[in-house]
Amino acid sequence: MDTLQFLADGFATAFQWHNLLFAFIGVLIGTAVGVLPGIGPMSGVALLIPITASMTGGLPPEAAATSSIILLAGVYYGAMYGGSTTSILLNTPGESSSVVTTLDGYQMAKQGRAGAALSISAIGSFAAGLFAVIALIALAEPLSEVAIKFGPADYFSLMLLGLCAVSGLAGKSITKALIMTVLGLLLATIGMDTVSGVARFTFGVPLLYSGLEFLTVAVGLFALGEVFKTILEKDYSAGKTAKIERILPTKQDLKDSAGPIARGSVLGFFVGILPGAGATLASFFSYILEKKMSKNPETFGKGNIAGVAAPESANNAASGGAMIPLLTLGIPGSGTTAILMGALIMYNIQPGPLLFEEHPQVAWGLIASMLIGNLMLLILNMPLVKVFAKIIQTPPKYLIPIIIAISIFGVYAVQVQIFDLMLLLACGVIGFLLARNDYPLAPLVLGLVLGPMIENNMRRALTTSNGDFMIFLQKPLSLVFLIIAAIWIIVPFLLKKRGKEVVVNEEG
Amino acid sequence: MNNTFDRYASLVFLLLGIGFMWQSTTISSSAYGSTVGPNIAPFGLGALLIILSLRLFYEALKARGQSGKADKLDYKRFLIIFAAAFLYAFFLETIGYIIGTFLFLLVGFQVLERGKWLKSIVISALFAAGVYVIFVVLLEGSMPGFPSWLS
Repeated sequence: MDTLQFLADGFATAFQWHNLLFAFIGVLIGTAVGVLPGIGPMSGVALLIPITASMTGGLPPEAAATSSIILLAGVYYGAMYGGSTTSILLNTPGESSSVVTTLDGYQMAKQGRAGAALSISAIGSFAAGLFAVIALIALAEPLSEVAIKFGPADYFSLMLLGLCAVSGLAGKSITKALIMTVLGLLLATIGMDTVSGVARFTFGVPLLYSGLEFLTVAVGLFALGEVFKTILEKDYSAGKTAKIERILPTKQDLKDSAGPIARGSVLGFFVGILPGAGATLASFFSYILEKKMSKNPETFGKGNIAGVAAPESANNAASGGAMIPLLTLGIPGSGTTAILMGALIMYNIQPGPLLFEEHPQVAWGLIASMLIGNLMLLILNMPLVKVFAKIIQTPPKYLIPIIIAISIFGVYAVQVQIFDLMLLLACGVIGFLLARNDYPLAPLVLGLVLGPMIENNMRRALTTSNGDFMIFLQKPLSLVFLIIAAIWIIVPFLLKKRGKEVVVNEEG
Repeated sequence: MNNTFDRYASLVFLLLGIGFMWQSTTISSSAYGSTVGPNIAPFGLGALLIILSLRLFYEALKARGQSGKADKLDYKRFLIIFAAAFLYAFFLETIGYIIGTFLFLLVGFQVLERGKWLKSIVISALFAAGVYVIFVVLLEGSMPGFPSWLS
């Protein structure tokens, strides 16, 4: 069967009524998550894993996995749409990838062009989303065919590269990022060893035999951590929003933003593929690019529509691009995709080169649903943008306790253990403390998700070489990956040493 | 930022690293048919964590003198909500989901903003009952609804 046939099957899956519903719920919640300051895509997706797990409980395993990944991915790219709303109306970005949008977006709102800015960012996001999905369709199959030839040593080095890339770009201090990565990997070793069946670090406690549940840790670190931060920093007063008058952009607006949207899409997509880089960096780069290319760069920061169109397209394209390493290689390049991967593993579905062969329903169903989801988002965001602007005014004092209640409910619904609730609360406090002191959390989650696979591949490779660690340097592919990994850590390190500003990825 | 935290954190990470290395020596060192046992990875990672924590300590020491920004944190509200969440989670199975959630939300709403009791009560009750109905009645999930001595 060729790609088109698979895609048609994917559409058949995505058009099942419950999957349409799941995609709709996903993008709706995603937009809300993007609009609400304080909940980013990472905590939104983490918070929804247990909810989707209980919603899909009645379906057969593979269908359940498809439906929930459709919903969760919808939250992910939906948040990219929603993030622009607060940036433009309130001058506070709903999530970090929309920080750049505030520069020109809020200025436009002040000039009474809020509607045009919002609709251009929706159109840009749609065009970029479409481009990313088409590129994903074109690249997924060939990439996974290459990846399938990787041996355990190559895989080990590739995953190491993923970890190094995320650590090198996350947060202000590489040391802290590396500590978080190693800590994540160490936490992943708790529980039953999958190769030998030996219990590690369980101290005879039966609860620990299955290891620390990824779900509990992720919800605690991200969702609860952010909520605790909001309470502690008294950051829950609603701001005043700018008025939206005319929604549709003028012909001139469309003409001015066509180029930036196209460039933002392409740039964002390729930045998104790179591990460690992500939506935040993509939007940042595309803004700089537009400013450089513009004939009158002095208009940027004063309400130039290109300054809204380009970064908003780029962050959406990046979220599509980030799906490529996740689906084809099984290596998440960011915190959010790591959480998506954790969700897939919960359903016993291993992302990676074999995904397209073993579970075509999941892979192609997801891809097809992304096309549908983007269309839904365009429809949702153009006429309903005023409704979402209302969501901003939801008093956070009601939201905060409800998020805590949802976290506790969700974790208990899946784990049915008080132990996990205690772990959840502890992770919330730890998450707050670490994030407040500039310890990036994304590498920790990445380490936790990739830990077992890295270890298995390392041990498989070492078994074939009789314990000789040189195998990682002898295999050419593995050597290349390791060199790139080293460069990824050393270059930002050297740049920082020379006192240069290094763009860091806050979203992770 | 606050480098007192970094210094204490580096100590915690150092102890964690030592703990993992020490405990990994008690794990069997070989698996069937392989010279590479389940102890290698935690041992190596523990060592790495120790090195990194020393590096962090050094960095924190070097950065001393820069005082972190001192913005006041709202500990009172946080502690009340956290305690409420803890009690809610701890006694979830004994007092049941509906009562527990209702009480927790009510406390949470009132701690964040005093007054508007009616609105708080209505939202808490609707949320608690709504989630329970959707999850247990519609989706047939298992969740202790009411305490066993009530039903």
